[in-house]
This record gives sequence, C-alpha cells and structure tokens, in this order.
Amino acid sequence: MNLSPDETIIFQAWGVPINATIFFTWIVMTLLTGASVLITRNLRPDVPPDRWRTMLEVIVQGIQSQIEEVAQGPSRYLLYYAGTLFLFVATSNLLLVVPGFEPPTASLSTTTALALSVLIAVPIFGISSRGIGGYLKTYLEPSFIMLPFNIISEFTRGISLAIRLYGNIMSGAVIAAILLSVAPFFFPVLLDVLGLLTGMIQAYIFAILATVYISSATTPPPSQQPEKETS
Amino acid sequence: MSIDWITVAAQIANFLVLVWLLRRFLYRPILDGIDAREAEITTRMQEAEHAKENAEGVKHEYQDQLKALNAKQSDMAEAIRQEAEKQRDALLAEAHERMAQERVTWQSHLDEEARKYTARLQRAGGGALLSLTRKALTDLADETLEGRIAQHLVKRIETMVDDLRTAAGQSTAAVVTSRDALPQSARADLSAAVQKVFPDVAIKFETNAEQPPGIIMRIGGAQLDWTVDGYVESLSDVMEEQLAGGVGLKDAAQ
Repeated sequence: MNLSPDETIIFQAWGVPINATIFFTWIVMTLLTGASVLITRNLRPDVPPDRWRTMLEVIVQGIQSQIEEVAQGPSRYLLYYAGTLFLFVATSNLLLVVPGFEPPTASLSTTTALALSVLIAVPIFGISSRGIGGYLKTYLEPSFIMLPFNIISEFTRGISLAIRLYGNIMSGAVIAAILLSVAPFFFPVLLDVLGLLTGMIQAYIFAILATVYISSATTPPPSQQPEKETS
Repeated sequence: MSIDWITVAAQIANFLVLVWLLRRFLYRPILDGIDAREAEITTRMQEAEHAKENAEGVKHEYQDQLKALNAKQSDMAEAIRQEAEKQRDALLAEAHERMAQERVTWQSHLDEEARKYTARLQRAGGGALLSLTRKALTDLADETLEGRIAQHLVKRIETMVDDLRTAAGQSTAAVVTSRDALPQSARADLSAAVQKVFPDVAIKFETNAEQPPGIIMRIGGAQLDWTVDGYVESLSDVMEEQLAGGVGLKDAAQ
C-alpha cells in the first residue's frame, strides 16, 4: 500500500513519469477551470444570473467576506491566492469520495508545495504592501532580539501548514483504505463522510491561516496603527 | 512518506497556473459581473429615484393645475350663473314690457271695440227709440214723429224770435236738414213758421244720412234743432248703468 500518491505512476509523457499527484491535480484544475468557463462564458450585466452563476457568486463572495473579516480591506490579489488555495484543497478533499480518486492533498509533496507557496507569498504580499524596508523591519519587531525567532516562526508555520494538511488528508485516505480491506461495507462510508467534513475544515483552515499570515505581513503592527477614537 | 521535490516544483507550477486560470475564468468574470450588476442596480435605482422625483414633480404640477382648473371652473360657473341671472332678469323685464305693451294694445283694442259697440248700440237704441216713438205717436195720437218735431220747432221759433233774428243777421236762406225726407205737412208747418218770422228768407229742405234722426234748421249763424241724440245718450247712460250693475252683480256672484 502506497502512503503517498507520488509513488504511483499513471503514465509517462515524453519519457517523464506523471505520478498520481500531478495527474489528479490536473483533473482538479480541469474541473475547476472547466466549470468556471462553462458558467461564466456568457456573463452579461443586463441578464439575471442563473442558478450556476449564483452558486459561483455565493462561493466567491463567501471567500471574499471571510478574507475581509481577517484582512484589513478588500484585496483582489489576496482573494485570487487564498480563494484558489481553498477551492483547490476543498475540491481535492471532496473528490475523496470518488472511487479511484487519490486526493493530491494526501501527498506531502502537494502540501509542501502549497506551504512553500504560502512562504513565498507572504514576503511578496508584504513587500508589495509595505515596501521591502517596511517588510524586513517586521522581523526586528518588537526588538532585534526577536529576529531569529521571527525567521524560525516564518518557516515553522509553513511546515506546520504542510504537515497539518498532509496528515489529515493522508490519514483519512489511509484509514479509509485500511477499513475498506477490513470491513468493506459500512465503516468506510462513515469514514468517508467524516473525511469530507475534515477535508472541508482543513481546506478552510489552510486558506484562513494563509490569509492570516499574509495579512499579518501586510498590516502594520498594532503599535503603529493610529488609535481609534472612542466615543 | 517522502517529499518528491520534482513533484513539489510541479505542484507549485500547477498551483500558480490554477491561480491564473481561476483569476481569468472565475474571479474576474464573477466579481466584474457583480460589480457591473451593482453598478446597474445603482444606476437603475438612481434612475428610478430620478423618475420618482420627476413623477412627484409632475404629480404636484398636475395637482396644482387641477386646483387651478377647479378654481377656474368655480369662477366660470359663478360667472355663468350671474350671466344667466342677468339674462333671465333681462328676459323677464322684456316679457313684462311686452306684456304691458300687449296689455295697452289690448286695452286700446278693447276700448275701441267698446266704443264701436257703444256707437252701434246707440245707433240701434236711437233707431229703436225712434221707431217706437213713431209707432206710439201713430197708434195713440195718429200723428207722425216728423210732424211733431216740426211743430216742436215751430213753437221754439215763436218763443225765440228775437234771438233768431239777431243770430240770423241778413241771411236770406234757411236750410232744414233731416236724415229722411220730411213729410209734406211738416214741411208746410216749418215753412209757414219761418215765413212768419223771416218773410224774405227762402227755405230749403235737404236730407243728410249722416246726421242723427231729427230736424236741424240753420239760418245764417242761428241754428235750431231737435234730434234724438240727447235721448239716445240718456238711454246709453241708463244702459251703461244697467250694464255696470250687471257686471257688479256678476262680480259679486263670483
């Protein structure tokens, strides 16, 4: 039994082996992009939205409202990034119920890639928001003594993101597979339902934590914020 | 459990491609659609607000016009009523005037008719009186009326000799007129009486259908006559009194 879909080679293209992680990632990408293209291809402001477009609007506006609750002010780039994180992770986890589908998020390589992307996105968003000097100064706050701890925390939160997502999804998939071999009829269904719930929660947690990290890098610390007038 | 760094790199690339794809095909169309719809709704709400304000303005304008029209209608109705009253008064006055004129005309017509009737009555009364008198004289005294009139005039001539001479002056002709021709005896009596007073006067007998029954004699400026006019007038007075009494009785009966 393979614990990671990285080890499963689906096919080879021009001599390059394509493993299950990449293959199923492409499937998720195709599903998300295809559904988006199909629904949004004939968007016109003067035509009332149909149910599919309304569904997409609900999803996008839900993500946007969650981001606005965490971050200060709306940011479309943050929506693009965190929303894609959520949709990719959530779709991958939901497709766990499809027989034969191995969620890419059950691969430590995928979660590592997503955590690395968060690690890279945080300084990019921070520098674009505060400038490079302003961003680097955040490592010296509240004093320069905290510099090594800030650097360590930057990496550890990336690692924690990766491990948390991987552990949850991989464990769910593995436990479902083990139970399928032990008790093939009833318990795997229950665990799959539980896996759907934890998968959605993990997607939410991953996207929210990424948003929190990015917004903490883009938002000035409380000491620098002007005090709000109290009435 | 191991990390395949090639897969990691591929997944990072896949993720970035997915970010671009979803930005291109999901977020932008949806958010732009929402923004466009919000803008459309805002525009339509502003247009609706504008249309509502316009409608309110037009409503107030029409209400003012309606009030003005109602006031104008009341004024017009009042003016028409006054004009109608004026015309009614004028028509009533004209009708009263016409009625008064017609009453005057009718009254004059009635008076004329009454006068004509009275004249006819007088003539008929006179004629009847004359014929009755003549018949009574013939039956009772075997005399004619004209003869008795002539004898009456003869008596008056004898009693008024001096006055007649003074009034007659130097006249040499006496004219005796009657409505009907006088009988020969009456003519002779009159001629004898006149010749006795005025020997040089020639007497001439004429008839005049227009004159009342009786005899009129003219000598120069003197005139001596006896006609039934006075009697007929007396008869008319009596008849008028009787008629007035009858009308009064009729009025009393009513």
